[in-house]
Amino acid sequence: MKVSLQWLRRHIDLNSSSKEIEEALTLIGFEVEGVEETGLPTLNKVIVGEVLSSEPHPNADRLSVCEVLINQEDESRKIVCGASNYSVGDRIPVALSGAVLPGNFKIKKSKLRGVESDGMMCSARELQLGEDHEGLLILQDRPAVGTPINEVFPYRDTVFDIEVTPNRPDCLSHIGVARELAARFGLAVEYPQIKVNPQAFSTGELPPLLNKVEVDATENCPHYRAYCIRGVKIGPSPMWMQQLLKAAGLRPINNVVDATNFVLLELGQPLHAFDASKIRGGKLIIRPAGQGEEIVTLDDRKRTLTSSMTVIADAERALVIAGIMGSIDAEVDENTTDIVLEAAYFKPSNIRWTSRRLGLVSDSSYRFARGVDAKGSEYSALRAIDTILEVAGGELSGPPFMVGEPPLMEREIEIGPRFIRDKLGFDVEESQISDVFTALGFDVNLRERTGGSRYWSVGIPSYRLDLERPIDLVEEFLRIYGTDKIPTARVSTPGLVQKDDAVDVFKRKASAYLCGRHFNECVSYSMRSTEEIGQWYSHAAASSLRLANPLASDQSHLRPSLFPGLLDSLRLNLNRGNAPRRLFEIGNVWREWDGRIWELYSVAFLMLKESTGGQWIERQPPDFFHVAGVVRNLLRLAGDDSGDVPFAPIDHEDSWQEGQAGAIGDFKTGWQGKAGMMNLFLLKQWDIEGTVLGGVVYLLPSFLRNSSKRKTYRPISQYPPIIKDLALVVEENLMADDVRRELENVAVEAAGGAFGVESVGVFDVYRGKGLPEGKKSLAFSLVFRSMERTLTDAEVNLAFETIQKAIAASGYAVRE
Amino acid sequence: MQQTLKAIVEEAKNAVSELAMRADFEAYKARLMGPKGSFTQIRKQIGRVPKEDRPAFGKSLNEVKTQLETLLAVALGKIERAEIASRLGPALDPTLPSPEAEPGSLHPLTQVREELCEIFRQIGFVVAEGPEVETEFFCFDALNTPADHPARDLQDTYYLPEDLRFSNIPQYREERYLLRSHTSTVQIRAMLDQPPPLRIISPGRCFRRDTPDATHSANFHQIEGLYVDKNVTVKDLKATLDYCFKSLLGKKAHTRFRPHFFPYTEPSFEVDFHSGHLAKVGTEWTEIMGCGMVDPSVFEAVGYDPEVWSGYAFGMGIERIAMILYGVDDIRYFYQNDLRFLHQFD
Repeated sequence: MKVSLQWLRRHIDLNSSSKEIEEALTLIGFEVEGVEETGLPTLNKVIVGEVLSSEPHPNADRLSVCEVLINQEDESRKIVCGASNYSVGDRIPVALSGAVLPGNFKIKKSKLRGVESDGMMCSARELQLGEDHEGLLILQDRPAVGTPINEVFPYRDTVFDIEVTPNRPDCLSHIGVARELAARFGLAVEYPQIKVNPQAFSTGELPPLLNKVEVDATENCPHYRAYCIRGVKIGPSPMWMQQLLKAAGLRPINNVVDATNFVLLELGQPLHAFDASKIRGGKLIIRPAGQGEEIVTLDDRKRTLTSSMTVIADAERALVIAGIMGSIDAEVDENTTDIVLEAAYFKPSNIRWTSRRLGLVSDSSYRFARGVDAKGSEYSALRAIDTILEVAGGELSGPPFMVGEPPLMEREIEIGPRFIRDKLGFDVEESQISDVFTALGFDVNLRERTGGSRYWSVGIPSYRLDLERPIDLVEEFLRIYGTDKIPTARVSTPGLVQKDDAVDVFKRKASAYLCGRHFNECVSYSMRSTEEIGQWYSHAAASSLRLANPLASDQSHLRPSLFPGLLDSLRLNLNRGNAPRRLFEIGNVWREWDGRIWELYSVAFLMLKESTGGQWIERQPPDFFHVAGVVRNLLRLAGDDSGDVPFAPIDHEDSWQEGQAGAIGDFKTGWQGKAGMMNLFLLKQWDIEGTVLGGVVYLLPSFLRNSSKRKTYRPISQYPPIIKDLALVVEENLMADDVRRELENVAVEAAGGAFGVESVGVFDVYRGKGLPEGKKSLAFSLVFRSMERTLTDAEVNLAFETIQKAIAASGYAVRE
Repeated sequence: MQQTLKAIVEEAKNAVSELAMRADFEAYKARLMGPKGSFTQIRKQIGRVPKEDRPAFGKSLNEVKTQLETLLAVALGKIERAEIASRLGPALDPTLPSPEAEPGSLHPLTQVREELCEIFRQIGFVVAEGPEVETEFFCFDALNTPADHPARDLQDTYYLPEDLRFSNIPQYREERYLLRSHTSTVQIRAMLDQPPPLRIISPGRCFRRDTPDATHSANFHQIEGLYVDKNVTVKDLKATLDYCFKSLLGKKAHTRFRPHFFPYTEPSFEVDFHSGHLAKVGTEWTEIMGCGMVDPSVFEAVGYDPEVWSGYAFGMGIERIAMILYGVDDIRYFYQNDLRFLHQFD
């Protein structure tokens, strides 16, 4: 809200500097977003002149050449002028050669269409005194020729643009801000005196302007007042009012409309003036709008209403969307002579809803939506009548109409000094507290409970809608007392001995691990486009992850994976020549399963297989087993202790290159890992040349939180192992771990419980020379060991022979 | 005899300096010390030395043996060093860069998050986490936000379709899912989950329906704190935040509490700071966080007795802090992940 210093000074005797006022406003809770000096800036060499003569310009139809008197010594200047609104003898502002007008407009002697012009006669806009640029600013008061223009227009103002928080609608007015500053600076507030007597109206012979006011929407309009005024003369409002309105950011319209706006900004009460001649049927009805009823509002837009909205209507049609905006049908215009003035209380929630639904916010709706002083409608209406009569003439005609009662908003809060001290944590004197409350305009009464404890009964004015509980008064006290007086103290916190959330602990471990492996952490957006998700995942995933109200089409869906974001970062770095190699991100992703969405904690990383250049030494390029190893380590950090469960091939998932990726686990039971080569075709479409290897883990946060199981010791053998190697020739498409498990089963059986087969592991894979096409050789190491004794070669050899026979019997060729 | 010994030593001195290969060395060692070696032959002759001369001769033999062994050891050392040298090839150029030295890096937002968490861990706060998809109850209702508060608008908050359900994000009743607009949701879940006292900070990602520009991002990160105990006061809040800002911004940082309004705290403040030594901040007051004393209605919503328990809460934007600390002037740089940017914070 824009607050004018000149306006504030109408209510409080404020002599502080604008810097002090700015700071005071800020420190009592009204952040100052801007301070603007308005009015005529100090202008040198701009003086009052008088037009002595005016001749047509010889070379231009629209221009004339004037002789202009510029001082008492009969000095004059020849000035070329484009305006036509003046007469010879008029006094006007003249910028002499050497003057600098607002906007750094330098005036100098120059030729205009071949005629020399020495200076410039000015319009109101050129001096920043108004919008008028049609003609010269004629100085009707005829100040003496040669007078500096600043002496003619001494009016200056300072405008503070303040943020009023939603709990303080009372400060959407100058009187409200004045009250606050008065409390801060210890000043008295002067309220406008009402002059009109609402019962002293004329009746006359003419039929009344209004016969009836009906409220058919009492829920949304508990209180309505209307006053009739006859004989106003529409015209511009006086300069002082225009200046104040402009300072507050409003455009002057005419004296009646300006008067209602003036009271709105002075007291915070929205008012509406109808042209009485446009009210059909002599009555006003406050009723729910018809479903689909249309109205053209003052901003010249057709609005379609619903039955949950409220309108002020005459016998035939809606004239105003209640509390929000009037229609062009009842607008006060230059022909208006009789008016009906409305002052009402509308229910804030209905105004909020309607305003939001229509996408229409006005100065009036903004205040009603936040809550106006219900009790203030009469005072504001009388103040507006005073103002209208003052600036537009006319007289009250007929009795005021009144329907309903304003809701009761005054309340009392009981609070003791001890409560305040306990909440603040420091000592303040009782008198300091009661002084602050009194300064804020509260009705403070000291009371005593039986037992002697003292407290105040604090009467809260009707305009302070935000104060209901004792705690609210603690803030009031501190605000005015000064937050800078909160003493500094040392932190003292008794220990609670709790642990960080396991998700956070894992994030730190995982990112430290990946950093140690030369990965760079990235952060990308959680919301992605439907095309991207459809491309990398599935169109089904895309449709289930859509937001209800996306703002931009490239951020319309929750991400199912971190990879597209990482690939964006990879591509950006490739394009910028940054030689990216390893990137990772940690964050939440969402996956659909069985009609429901899961929020998963995910770590994803990628590395470029090819060198991005700039390396003087070639390293062995990474492959599936690098990324699979990183995935397994991440799972281990997450608390997966399933140990040696192998990856399984991923069949047909769009993100991965077919036959080049593997997966482990299932996120629905806690965790899942995937690793391999990203889909090369999609990478190409993503404008990434080359091979990208990726790995990802998906974790349920609940798995992380529940996985800190204590380990149990398993005994280890104190005796040496005997190791036997065995190579099997198998079909190329057999998975090594399937063969290994079969061999392990055979081996365990062969050992027959006499001793243990500690492990069976692959140590070599061979293809090529010596083997038929389509076959490969898998070499295994079998480790035998006993818990009780050193094994003998003889018993192990015996078992090993049995194993070879048994594995051969199950169809495997033992390679000699 | 002594002459012969002397000659052996002299000859050995000359011979070992010629030895370059291990095979030559072994052959020469055998010629000298082997079963038929020249020195071994002489040693065997001790029986022929007169009994009275034997001690002196024995002593000479030992001396010579030591001399010869030393000569051989030196020669072997030389050969081994030569072998190592030939295995290694020419000296390397240590000025070449190591491909492994290329550092991994934590994102600046992670670093700021971690720095803030660490500051608060020092005074007994622990990190709490919660889902990013939340519901209206946890994001608004429980935080005393009126039903028609503008923050709930479709204009400002991202919602999910009404019929969508999440397997692992419990609703309070049947209220609607949304993307959390602040991490205060974690505080509500924590308070519903455990009895007071409580001391948590909740860092995490938040979402607001803002058009992206240099200072706005559709998703951003916050860190919020909540302290609940008996007799918690405004003075305690200020002490905690003073400590936080001195730790974060240095001892020269000045802060002020500006009264403000939030539905979930009363009294509420925004905190401004200025600090001459920070780039791009200068002496103007810059807003850095919001805070206040937990509103009694929030305690009621989670079943804490507001007559017994009191507390404070605060929250700040991690991007905003990072921009202040590092002098970054466009929030979007944090989401581009240009390595030249990321490596500046290694």
